[in-house]
Amino acid sequence: MTTASIASPQLLERTPRAPLGRLLGAELRWVLRRPRTLAAFGVLALVPLGLGLLMSMMDFGAAPLQGPPVLASLLGNGMVLPLAAMGMAMPLLMPMIVSMTAADAIAGESSHGTLRGLLIAPIGRTRLVVVKAVGVAAVTALAVAVLALLGITAGVAFTGTTEFTSLSGTSLTFMEGIGRVGVAAAWVWLQMFAVAAVALALSSLTDHPLVVLAVMMGTLIVFAVLGGIGDLSWLHPVLLTTGWMSVIDVIRDPMESTALVESSVRALCYIVIGLSATIARMATKDS
Amino acid sequence: MSLSTEPLAATGAVGAAQQAAPALAARTSGLRKVYGHTVAVDCVDLEVPQGAVLGLLGPNGSGKTTTIRMLLGLTRPSAGSVELLGVPMPDGADRALPHVGALVEGPGFHPFLSGRENLRRCAAAEPLLPTEGISRAVDEALERVGLGHAATRKYRGYSLGMKQRLGLAAALLVPRRLVVLDEPTNGLDPAGTREIRAVMAELHGSGTTVVVSSHLLSEVEATCTHVAVLHQGTAVAQGSLAELLDAGTPTLTVSTEDVQIAVDTLRDNRIPFWSDVDSVRVELVTATPQQVIEKLVLAGVGVREARRERTGLEELFARLTESDVREGS
Repeated sequence: MTTASIASPQLLERTPRAPLGRLLGAELRWVLRRPRTLAAFGVLALVPLGLGLLMSMMDFGAAPLQGPPVLASLLGNGMVLPLAAMGMAMPLLMPMIVSMTAADAIAGESSHGTLRGLLIAPIGRTRLVVVKAVGVAAVTALAVAVLALLGITAGVAFTGTTEFTSLSGTSLTFMEGIGRVGVAAAWVWLQMFAVAAVALALSSLTDHPLVVLAVMMGTLIVFAVLGGIGDLSWLHPVLLTTGWMSVIDVIRDPMESTALVESSVRALCYIVIGLSATIARMATKDS
Repeated sequence: MSLSTEPLAATGAVGAAQQAAPALAARTSGLRKVYGHTVAVDCVDLEVPQGAVLGLLGPNGSGKTTTIRMLLGLTRPSAGSVELLGVPMPDGADRALPHVGALVEGPGFHPFLSGRENLRRCAAAEPLLPTEGISRAVDEALERVGLGHAATRKYRGYSLGMKQRLGLAAALLVPRRLVVLDEPTNGLDPAGTREIRAVMAELHGSGTTVVVSSHLLSEVEATCTHVAVLHQGTAVAQGSLAELLDAGTPTLTVSTEDVQIAVDTLRDNRIPFWSDVDSVRVELVTATPQQVIEKLVLAGVGVREARRERTGLEELFARLTESDVREGS
């Protein structure tokens, strides 16, 4: 049988593609309409609001403070609130939300049978990863924004002042303070997107979103434990969680950037590895 | 496999050669898929002529869905090759698939979105659909499968039949060259089944090639021009429906109360048959109906009714897929 017998219409010689913007729009609409995404934002919103409430109650009682130093510095200092909110959400809550989103992005779609539809359309396997990564990045950004914006608002509302004091004791203007919170937010986003990139890679390996969530959270907990063992200090530079405490460095005056930069480079490495693994896996994934 | 299927396979091969290399919408050769130690599909050489409605027939677990998934580039074959609209798969997926609509392994949608929103999401990914045409294409597809009234309802609340229809709507968002439907009538009531058939007939009428898989013979017999029968991962017969229908041996069913006498008579005359409680089914290979009835009546068999039966696809199907084939007596 010759190949000439098979239909080869000219139409097939070009490769039509759906516009990338349209795909991204559809992805964002989908991910932001999902009830669990909205619920996650709601839970995140409770963090700065709860902190603000706690702060005002402590202020009210004017009792001597007992508690974490970050909370102590909150007293009468509105700018620390968004940073404290981010610091509190970073170890568990944010990674969980981000991993959940990444788990749903590929494994969840696969278990719903909707991944097939996208592949048959076809949107292209590499472009699928790009679209999914952008979707998860957007959710991560919004989650950080919820913490930062509500944190600033609650901070100003509960302390009634727009003046900030740095950890070093100097005072910062409102705009300077906003800038510092912005730097912290960008840094938190990068760290969380690193978590997301690894979660996406896991997500492409399985059809069960829960597996992604469990493995990701387990890994982060193991990282945190390993990070706490001094004898394993040679291992610490490769652990993503190393340096997650350095968010507070942004309100030193001048800003202490060594740990922030180092952990950002580490996060970038995780992002590159995670996304490459996802693309490689999706290229041959049977679905 | 029984002897009687050999001429069948031969007919199929001769038919393909005689038709002077017809244009094919899809072709697989030596297709094989192994999952671990399980051979899901083996040596499947499928040819889907352009414009045909090909019924992919086989019992559950015969490799229909795996074959379709390889056809669409969702699964990589362990061995063998696939050509879809003249493009090798899965490497040419980006070129061929925009022209292919498919409903594979049941409908897949998000429960928290309405039917229309789900379709809009599918439509956004369709390369051949211009952005400004999405709304209209979605509404038309919904109307076409009879879901216009339920467009704004959440997919969560859809019945099985409605879900199936939405899956079909997604396959029909764009005018296609090839539509692949995997068990499209699953969960549908008789009216829904008729509607699916109507849609398939409409597609056929507009020149679209259709591949439809089913384990229900009646469905395939009613709607297809071509048939391929899969059994345990292997294609045991394929060709045009007419060819396959004619290829079987015609039979004569004789209803009588004297089954034992009839059996003895037929055996004495070396006429092959199957016997039942109150009838014998005679294969008309060596004898004509007149001769059979004459012999039976002369032997004193009280013939109540004699009915000549065309070999239906059902019988073919049963013969090809059942392991214990009874031949003659």
